Amino acid sequence: MRKRLLPAILVAAALALGACTGGDDTPDKVAGGAHTLPGPAPAGLALKPPATEAPTAPRFSATLTDGTDIDVSTLWADRPVVLTFFSSWCTICADRQDAMSELARTYQDRVVFLGVAGEDEADPLDEYLRTHKVEYPVVLDDSMNVWRAYAVREPPAVIILSKDGRLLRGWPGGIDAAALDTQLKEHVLG
Amino acid sequence: MTRQHRGRRLAATLLPLLLAGGVTAGCTGSDPAEDGDPMTIRLLVREFNLREIGVDCAGSGAYLFVHRTAPYRLVDGDGAELASGELPTGTSIAAFEEDLEVPRVPTFCEFAVPVTVPKRDAYQLVIDDRPPIALTTDRDNPEGGPSLVAVIP
Repeated sequence: MRKRLLPAILVAAALALGACTGGDDTPDKVAGGAHTLPGPAPAGLALKPPATEAPTAPRFSATLTDGTDIDVSTLWADRPVVLTFFSSWCTICADRQDAMSELARTYQDRVVFLGVAGEDEADPLDEYLRTHKVEYPVVLDDSMNVWRAYAVREPPAVIILSKDGRLLRGWPGGIDAAALDTQLKEHVLG
Repeated sequence: MTRQHRGRRLAATLLPLLLAGGVTAGCTGSDPAEDGDPMTIRLLVREFNLREIGVDCAGSGAYLFVHRTAPYRLVDGDGAELASGELPTGTSIAAFEEDLEVPRVPTFCEFAVPVTVPKRDAYQLVIDDRPPIALTTDRDNPEGGPSLVAVIP
């Protein structure tokens, strides 16, 4: 009797332990990594056409925090893009980030936010992204090539790109989420 | 108790204390002459970046390495380390006195780092292991108190 009960007890204990730990054996996803890339753009997404004189945005390839290579043109092929230039040590960025993260969730799949961290390191950047619940893709711009391409001298800075990659608006010194929301509604969404 | 006995007891009591004091001083290097004076490192990054006045800042452009959390070392003229830590956030100050009537104006980014340092003939500031920046000693700064001042570029 005791021998027949033992395996059942062990199985029950294993199940209980699994329940206690969540039982999820998938590794933690890297904040800002490939899993944060947007899904398909909504069918019939209504967008305002960019002004004809709007200049073409610099195209760049870069690497997300989890090592995934991206080309910004694949992002702007389907929808507008908001580039947010920031650093984990930037106090103004941190003060605005929670609201910016929430705004990005609001626009999910209609407008893709892409964070571009510069003069930064992986560990403090990861802590920043988790602290501020950043759920959009983030590039660690070690070479500063993206910053230079967009003439960003200091964080924060925010730039709106149209679908198909035109420069629409930019704010050296950044912009808060409420003002960015107003700008997106005024210049981007149809 | 004879004088000789009292002398021995006194020596037995004091000797461990004296030895302990000597060992402690040896371990911490706490030579009173080396304790130093409280001063403030004042680093002005003159990059004329457009900002509002009085906001948090870092050095911009080529001086972006001068930012909050960047590791610094204060060394003497021979390179011996006197203090170390992380930079605090900078504060923007107007580059010109004129009122340009716009919110974002040319500014410099100023850092103030409190340190306690022994007297030396020369001081240098090393940020993130980059080339040292020479500091000028100003012990009679009427506004900011004793200061070690650097202006870059």
